Amino acid sequence: MKSVMRNGWIIGLLALLGLLLVATKVIQPNFGQSGLESLSRAALPFAFAAAAQVIVVVAGGIDLSIASMMAVASVTAAVMMDGGAVPAGLTVLVVLCLGALMGAINGSLIVLTRVPDIVVTLAMLFVWEGVALLILRAPGGGSAEWLRNIIVGGVAIPGLPPSATGWIPRSLLVLVICLAVIWVPLRRSRLGLAIYAIGSDQLAAFRSGVAVGRTRIAAYSVAGLFAAMGGLSLTMSTGIGEPIPGPYLLASVAAVVLGGVVLGGGRGGLLGPIIAVFVLRLVRMDLTLLSVDPNVTTIIEGSIMVVVVMIGGLLAVRSRRR
Amino acid sequence: MGSMRRTYQTAAMSALAIGLAGMAVADTYTIGISNTVQGNGWREEMVCAMKAQALVSGKVESLNIAHRNTDAAGQLEDIRNLIEAGVDAIVVNPANPEGINSAIKEATDKGIVVVAVDQAVTEPSAYVLSNDQEEYAYLGAKWLFEQIGGQGDVVYMRGAAGASADDDRDKGFNRALEEFPDVKIVHEVFTGWQQDQGKQQILDFLATGIPVDGVWTSGIDNVIVDAFVESDVPLVPIVGADNAGFVGQLSSVEGLEGAAVTNPGSVGGAGVTLALRILEGQPPEDRTVLVAPDLWANTTEDGRQKIEAGQNPNLDPEWPVSVSIPDWTTYTMDEIIACKGPGE
Repeated sequence: MKSVMRNGWIIGLLALLGLLLVATKVIQPNFGQSGLESLSRAALPFAFAAAAQVIVVVAGGIDLSIASMMAVASVTAAVMMDGGAVPAGLTVLVVLCLGALMGAINGSLIVLTRVPDIVVTLAMLFVWEGVALLILRAPGGGSAEWLRNIIVGGVAIPGLPPSATGWIPRSLLVLVICLAVIWVPLRRSRLGLAIYAIGSDQLAAFRSGVAVGRTRIAAYSVAGLFAAMGGLSLTMSTGIGEPIPGPYLLASVAAVVLGGVVLGGGRGGLLGPIIAVFVLRLVRMDLTLLSVDPNVTTIIEGSIMVVVVMIGGLLAVRSRRR
Repeated sequence: MGSMRRTYQTAAMSALAIGLAGMAVADTYTIGISNTVQGNGWREEMVCAMKAQALVSGKVESLNIAHRNTDAAGQLEDIRNLIEAGVDAIVVNPANPEGINSAIKEATDKGIVVVAVDQAVTEPSAYVLSNDQEEYAYLGAKWLFEQIGGQGDVVYMRGAAGASADDDRDKGFNRALEEFPDVKIVHEVFTGWQQDQGKQQILDFLATGIPVDGVWTSGIDNVIVDAFVESDVPLVPIVGADNAGFVGQLSSVEGLEGAAVTNPGSVGGAGVTLALRILEGQPPEDRTVLVAPDLWANTTEDGRQKIEAGQNPNLDPEWPVSVSIPDWTTYTMDEIIACKGPGE
């Protein structure tokens, strides 16, 4: 029953995404390959931020420092690659490790001090923001050209005609691969099970032999890794690093909620929030295409979220009654 | 690849065709606006100047405004959405000089005119109409250091940490500081260009009782004067921007010596004018046009006259009083305050 519910939510989100795509095509008949590509590139940092938030929320926590960690990762990458000082491949590796380390620090502080997640990560929001400013005090740095080009254009598979795969944005493929490489094995591992377990019921998990503290640190560490990917995607799309965090924290929470992940922990997957990210970006695109008053735009975005989550909640209650 | 190039060619051709057709008939363009700071008086005036200028030009059918708080990556998204919307020109206040180059290039490749206002961008296919931020800080700082006799303790109230305009101003400030080796910075803070934050910071500082001889602000100015007056601390020379509230104080507050450095938000309206000129086949000789700042000190006759001329009680205190730029904007004071664009 639970799996039907979860899939139901995802099917609903996919339907909403489809509807919005049709609406976009109606608003702007020229909407096509280039529109899909800009949508997918815009979604990239938001999707990684959402993935980071998902894993922490599933583990029963919340990470308010995600956008700041993304900024640290982004400026680190931009400073390292500036003028080709460090090869891009090595930079990516170092930044990913740095992300996991930042996440592990967040998690360790929570476990060791027993201060609530929300307090620790709120404090770390400012700490990581300061670290980003220490690394780079104003937007700057650089990025290797080949790294930037990874997310530009359509997918080309040798042997297939370009028309068959060319409409799929490369940035979407990069996103799917990066998320799958981490998420799929994790979900099937003991650690993945343990993360869901501590989010669902910490005491029960502890009594069944789950190392709660270590699992929590691991969850935050994976979140840091996803945040680093988000930071890298920022540097790849802008070609520089920006020390001031972007609007990714609240957007990640929004995507998590809209994606059907229960904020209390223990339930939800990655697919829903990722689709939700695309839904939210597409709403933004449609509002721009319609040239809606920018001061009204945010109200509309917020209202859509509340309505969708409310409808979802009502459907859940009704299906439970049956 | 070949088919893609064809698509671009077709797009470029049709853009050209539409452009030519537009010239033949009455000119009606669609202009996209991209701005990444919302809720700041200066930026609001900029957007209103864009709307008013588009309206009075009579050549703009509609404005498509992407106006929100975001970073360079978000601005890339906004610019690409404006490209999708099929605008003829984009006037953008860039989040930073380099981060949005890729989207600007995509726009200009499709025949869209891109004008960056307020801050420059490094993408060579864009036109730039920018306020000279380094000179802005240098002018005010130099005046302040001279005013305190070339020596003393100065509070340095910056803008937002990590913003490129703040970084440029810091360069100008330090250039002036090097010329006055006996001036000391006793306190340096980032106001984030937020009135409430700036006021709290100066109140905290004044409470310490550390002597101060002058204050340089990055445009969060009238609340600083308020703080001195409210805390009953003797006024020291203060440098601000040409915001309506501060310009009012320069003539009304007893014993205040100060200078306003102009930083017109109306540069947005000028950007619309520049975009329209380019669309009509009259590009400027130089791709970069710098708007030089001016200093109005209430200690000189000339400055006092400019301050009197700039007085405007109808404006929001956070709005710069230089609501128009000669040769560039043609709207009236009422039109910019009304803040209505075409079709509103």
